[in-house]
Amino acid sequence: MTTAGFRRGLVAALPFLLSNGAAGLVMGLTYKGLGLGAAHAILFSLLVYSATAQAITLSMWASPLPIVAMVVACIATNSRYLLMGAHLRQLFGGLAPRKMLPSLFLLADASWLMTSSDADRNGPDAGYLLGSSTPMAVGWVGGTALAYAAPLAANGPLRLAAALLPTMFIATLLPSQWKNMRSPWPWLTSAVIALLVARFGDPGWSMLIGGGCGTLVSMMEPSDA
Amino acid sequence: MHDLQLLGVICILGVTCYAMRAGGYVLAASMRDDGIAARFLRLAPGNLFIAFIVGGCLSGGPAGLVGTVVALVTMAITAREWAALGAGFGAALAASTIGW
Repeated sequence: MTTAGFRRGLVAALPFLLSNGAAGLVMGLTYKGLGLGAAHAILFSLLVYSATAQAITLSMWASPLPIVAMVVACIATNSRYLLMGAHLRQLFGGLAPRKMLPSLFLLADASWLMTSSDADRNGPDAGYLLGSSTPMAVGWVGGTALAYAAPLAANGPLRLAAALLPTMFIATLLPSQWKNMRSPWPWLTSAVIALLVARFGDPGWSMLIGGGCGTLVSMMEPSDA
Repeated sequence: MHDLQLLGVICILGVTCYAMRAGGYVLAASMRDDGIAARFLRLAPGNLFIAFIVGGCLSGGPAGLVGTVVALVTMAITAREWAALGAGFGAALAASTIGW
């Protein structure tokens, strides 16, 4: 875990201040509409820190709160983190858990994807994970707080940025991954299965199922290259 | 709804989400480096990138697709993330403005 890696990750993830800020703002405005106080809304974004889990628990909002169903929904929507965590163990297994486990509090889809890509280019560095996670968390929690602090409405370019920037950012990582490919079949499989799951099933599972199927095709190829 | 009850629910959900984030890391300690699971995890990232992008393009509609393709092509040509994101967002905004 190096300072240089932290700085590299922080700078690379700065665009997420905007996209996560806008998305956090939308989430904050929704909490505001439900009648949640600023402190509770900010704490929700800080502790749960998961757009999918927060969106799903919002859709289940009732009085009394269905706590067990909400916990099950959080487990189902965030089960992908088990795979990401296991992959991070492969990269950073040499580090003491007391150094890694606090960083995982801020683990997000995009910071994991960026860290995986950076590990291919520059070697594994847990500082990069923490650095890239930081703007994402600051944007998300800050956006939620901003919904209470300023008379803003999430519309137009703000909403578009929140919705599209994460996807576009991950797309910029693809060229660095392509050089490791032996054939297009794994990626085609990932794309087609993800499309089918998102279209006809639960979009929240499309990354995990699509990527998992593509990875199985990768494993049938002769080497890891 | 009682403030304390709401605070309790937020904490329970927070602990659940952190358990999912840290769980894979902790459980993977028992995994062999040369095993099938380890190889699966080594090969997973690129495939997950693609699946993530497809899901994002689908939910973002035509404007999202245009923005993502422009960002990808710009990155492949320039190798600069800021240029790719600027071009991608500009293209998505333009596509959205003309009603795509």
